[in-house]
Amino acid sequence: MISCDVFRKRFTRGTSDAGLLEHLRGCDLCLGPAVEIDPDAMFRSLGGEMTPPGGVDAFVGEVMRQVRLRNTETAIVPPRRLGWTRRAAVAATIAAATIAGLLVYQNNRPAVVQPRVARAVLAPEMTRPVIESYESQNATIVEMSAESASDVKIVMIFDESLPVDL
Amino acid sequence: MAADLRLMIPTEESFDVDDRELVQTIRTGDTAAFEQLVRRKTTKVYALCYRILNNGEDAKDVAQLVFIKLWENLARYDPKFAFDTWLYRMVTNVAIDFIRSRQSRDNAVNSNLRLVRTSIEAEQGVNVQRKEIEAVFNDVSAVLSPRQKTIFIMKEMEDLSSAEIARVLGCRESTVRNHLFNARKLMQEQLHRRYPEYAQLWRNR
Repeated sequence: MISCDVFRKRFTRGTSDAGLLEHLRGCDLCLGPAVEIDPDAMFRSLGGEMTPPGGVDAFVGEVMRQVRLRNTETAIVPPRRLGWTRRAAVAATIAAATIAGLLVYQNNRPAVVQPRVARAVLAPEMTRPVIESYESQNATIVEMSAESASDVKIVMIFDESLPVDL
Repeated sequence: MAADLRLMIPTEESFDVDDRELVQTIRTGDTAAFEQLVRRKTTKVYALCYRILNNGEDAKDVAQLVFIKLWENLARYDPKFAFDTWLYRMVTNVAIDFIRSRQSRDNAVNSNLRLVRTSIEAEQGVNVQRKEIEAVFNDVSAVLSPRQKTIFIMKEMEDLSSAEIARVLGCRESTVRNHLFNARKLMQEQLHRRYPEYAQLWRNR
């Protein structure tokens, strides 16, 4: 690395000199003066190579361990690569099975059963009226208006002279 | 004098084979050659990961993942291109994927907390502390997109030219310049808002 004196004499704005940049990134004493000459030196000073935590040897050892592990895995279980003919055969089999399944489903589909409730609503059972005619001096007879001719006609009779247990 | 003499003596590095030749050897299944390549590139790869991710442990994990991917995909490397360009592309892709997956918006939220008063004293001249600059950079760069941040780091800290960055990212040089311009603008705004003393030092070019 060049000396501080050399750096301060030679450092200029926007320099790309590798030696000067190396000094900029390694010398705290020259950082301030460099930033005064070139403000970009502020962030440029953060550059340079860095050692990973634990050191280069440990890092390289870990990478190589993983590489060897992967090599072993690859050797034990070779990658399953299908040729295009086998891929086409597999695709055709899947397609045929899907179509066959659809056809079977269409043919065996059970008939739709109408729900009983709906039929009961459509054809309500008609019952004869309990009382066809009624005559009384004290009775109040109320006929509920029906919306259509097919509706059941409701007639309410209020008569206080009748026995309670009728 | 001693320093000058040292420069003239071939170092261990200078005897090393070229990256491309090393890759050719690795392609024959030579794990020792791969170990040599990993050793050669570790500090560079780790540094770039660290600056993109702002976290030593994450950077270590991502850097290891990069080398494993490198081992698995070495057959796809085209020797027509510089090996470092290909390696940097892999680093940026893995690191950006990592940022997206960990939802690094947390960093942006934390970045609203201002650092303790920094120690630039006008009367003593500029007393810039590297650790402070690093903290300020981590803070203000949180507003950048992963791509903008990566481009800024490659330009300012890895000393790559715009053309080299474009090759790494597989985009146009004008796109790189555009990202760089926007990154600087956003960082300048953040500095003005939160670190006015640094904004005086660092302004838009």
